Amino acid sequence: MLSVENVFKSIDKKEIIRGLSVNFEEGKITGLLGPNGAGKTTLIRMINQILSPDKGVISWQNKLMTPENLTTIGYLPEERGLYRNMSVLEHALFFGALKGMPQKNILHQLDTWLEKWGIQDWKNKNIGALSKGMAQKIQFLLTVLHQPTILILDEPFSGFDPVNIDLIRQELLRLKAEGNTIIISTHNMKSVEEICDKAVMINEGQKIAEETVINLQKAHKQDVFSVTFKGNMIAFANALWVGYEIVDKFDKGQDIFEVHLKTRRENTFNDLLQTLIAHVEIIAATELLPSMEKVFLAELQQKKKEE
Amino acid sequence: MKKLWIIAKRELKERVSSRSFLAFALVGPLVLLALIYILFLLGGSEKKHWKVLVMDEEQILNNTLFSSEDPNFSIDFIPLFIDYPVFASEEKYQDYDLSIWVNEKIITNKKAIISYREEPTESVKRKLVYHLERRLDELMVSEFTDLSMQDYRAIKQPLSVSFKNVYDPRSETSYLSGWVGYVFGMLIVLFLFLFGMTITRSISVEKNNRIIEVLLSSASANQILGGKILGIGIAAFIQFVFWIFLIGLGLFWMRLTIFPDWFDPAVLAAELNASGDPFDISGSNANNFVDLVYNQINFGIMLLFFILFFIGAYFFYGAIYAAIGASISGQSDGQQFIIPMSIVLILVLGAGYFTVYYPLSAITTTFSFLPFTSPVVMLIRLGNGFEPGEAWQIYFALFLLYLFAVLTLRFGARIYRKGVLAYHSNITWATWFKWLK
Repeated sequence: MLSVENVFKSIDKKEIIRGLSVNFEEGKITGLLGPNGAGKTTLIRMINQILSPDKGVISWQNKLMTPENLTTIGYLPEERGLYRNMSVLEHALFFGALKGMPQKNILHQLDTWLEKWGIQDWKNKNIGALSKGMAQKIQFLLTVLHQPTILILDEPFSGFDPVNIDLIRQELLRLKAEGNTIIISTHNMKSVEEICDKAVMINEGQKIAEETVINLQKAHKQDVFSVTFKGNMIAFANALWVGYEIVDKFDKGQDIFEVHLKTRRENTFNDLLQTLIAHVEIIAATELLPSMEKVFLAELQQKKKEE
Repeated sequence: MKKLWIIAKRELKERVSSRSFLAFALVGPLVLLALIYILFLLGGSEKKHWKVLVMDEEQILNNTLFSSEDPNFSIDFIPLFIDYPVFASEEKYQDYDLSIWVNEKIITNKKAIISYREEPTESVKRKLVYHLERRLDELMVSEFTDLSMQDYRAIKQPLSVSFKNVYDPRSETSYLSGWVGYVFGMLIVLFLFLFGMTITRSISVEKNNRIIEVLLSSASANQILGGKILGIGIAAFIQFVFWIFLIGLGLFWMRLTIFPDWFDPAVLAAELNASGDPFDISGSNANNFVDLVYNQINFGIMLLFFILFFIGAYFFYGAIYAAIGASISGQSDGQQFIIPMSIVLILVLGAGYFTVYYPLSAITTTFSFLPFTSPVVMLIRLGNGFEPGEAWQIYFALFLLYLFAVLTLRFGARIYRKGVLAYHSNITWATWFKWLK
């Protein structure tokens, strides 16, 4: 486990991180969420040992992190940058060597990744000759080339097309399954819902929440359900009577509707389904969980109230 | 140390493989060689064949100037003195390139005037003077002595007189040797500026395209900075070796091809005989600059100290240029730092210029020890030569330069560490002072 314990950090006399404690578990993807200026980048830089905490400790597997741990970290910064005049191979040799990899291992790993993604012909191309998306892909490759056990990715999906977003997502899930500790810093809440096991929310240098994504969503759910059916909308509304409240409705065409509704009294999701099943043809039904964006705002408000 | 070297190797490779590096390595020495060539030929002409009219009113030379035929000269004698305007304008003299007026009292007053339409090269001048002197010797020996020419030459010992400043007895080589030191110093300033700016540019590029974030997650700021300065420094040194090799080769080639007669063993031997001093070929009318370049400068010592001062100055200034690079961001283009640095380098050249003319002044002595100016000023003083007992000054200046290089590297590293991550700040001098506190 990667542990940040009661860390403080000031830059130019401004307190950026204030007593932050957080754990990043192995085999899990943790989303690091927060508005601009919350202290995410400073926290990442401290884990990467680019900055050192003024107070508090950062440890890996119960041992204080040292410069030797840098070889176990892979870092993909938000704003990507590579040397335009260097080829993919030269980048791999340079960054691999900095991470302490033997040349033979670098070449093997590079070939494996290029072959896996079917881009062997990029190997000797200069970065300047690649498109922005292609260069981003290479930067991800370089981040994981040395097989890091801790992976820190700042906005990993930005700048990628949907095909490559899915490619990166699959790679992250595979790396997670291999037991690596993955930290994703992002503003893209949807990607957190989709890929993260846990979310750490920080604001103004302080933690406001640290919980699994599902638990956070459940904690802020409002018993709203989504039902998609085929049939008559009036018949649907009549069937509900007073036990339920329609929050929103969408006409999907061809007598298909999606309705969001809240239960009243003691009614459960099962009761709802039993009520409807005799009147309309149900296509889909699910409980609606709040988006991580709403969860974040709710947690932030809650924290402010507590203060 | 391993990471530092990995970063240095990448920098070195990037620099050496760039076209500008190769262009600078070739064009730079060629430009310098061209300048040297111009200095060699200063006022001279490349004419190969010279038609000479000897105006010998009293026929003192007996229609003989050269003891043997020289294919480069055709010589006619005339028992008249022709005034310059007539020689210059009258048609019958238009074929003549040179005229030599042999004064009727030349035996006693030793005066002759050579006039020309196009200034001859130094070697042509020397040859004419040499043969005229030789011819006069022959005449004087036969007229006034019973000696054979061989005996006469054996006993002839020219008087060698040199003027010395009692306060500066070693400055007999005049300002010229100081200028050679100045040229070496200028090379240092040129390399400092070019490669210092390379450090600035390289750091600011890495900062502004954020590669620095990835680098810092793999190596410490000191390792990155050290590797960068070292890598670019090695590139500068390779460039310098290129320059020395090409300039050396060029000078050697010029000596063999363009100016072979200056070093023609026959001419040289005759001159040595004439001067009587095997170490004094400068006693002839040779171009002082040629003589200085080929005979007076101890290139071994100059190169050794050039390299030592170059390395010290490179690290001293390099650290400042690195700090400037780290201070360039979206908000600040670094001009507020680059302009003062450029002015400092210009002032360093000014200090060098001052030193050439006032090598013994108190200001020069101060400049000799200031790390900003010592690399140029000390090389000029070295060109002039140190008196016994003064040599400690150059070692002390070197010690101070290296001491301050270590200090600026430490300050530079501190600013680098802070500045390289400050993407959106307007970094000013005040910021530097705040970071250095």
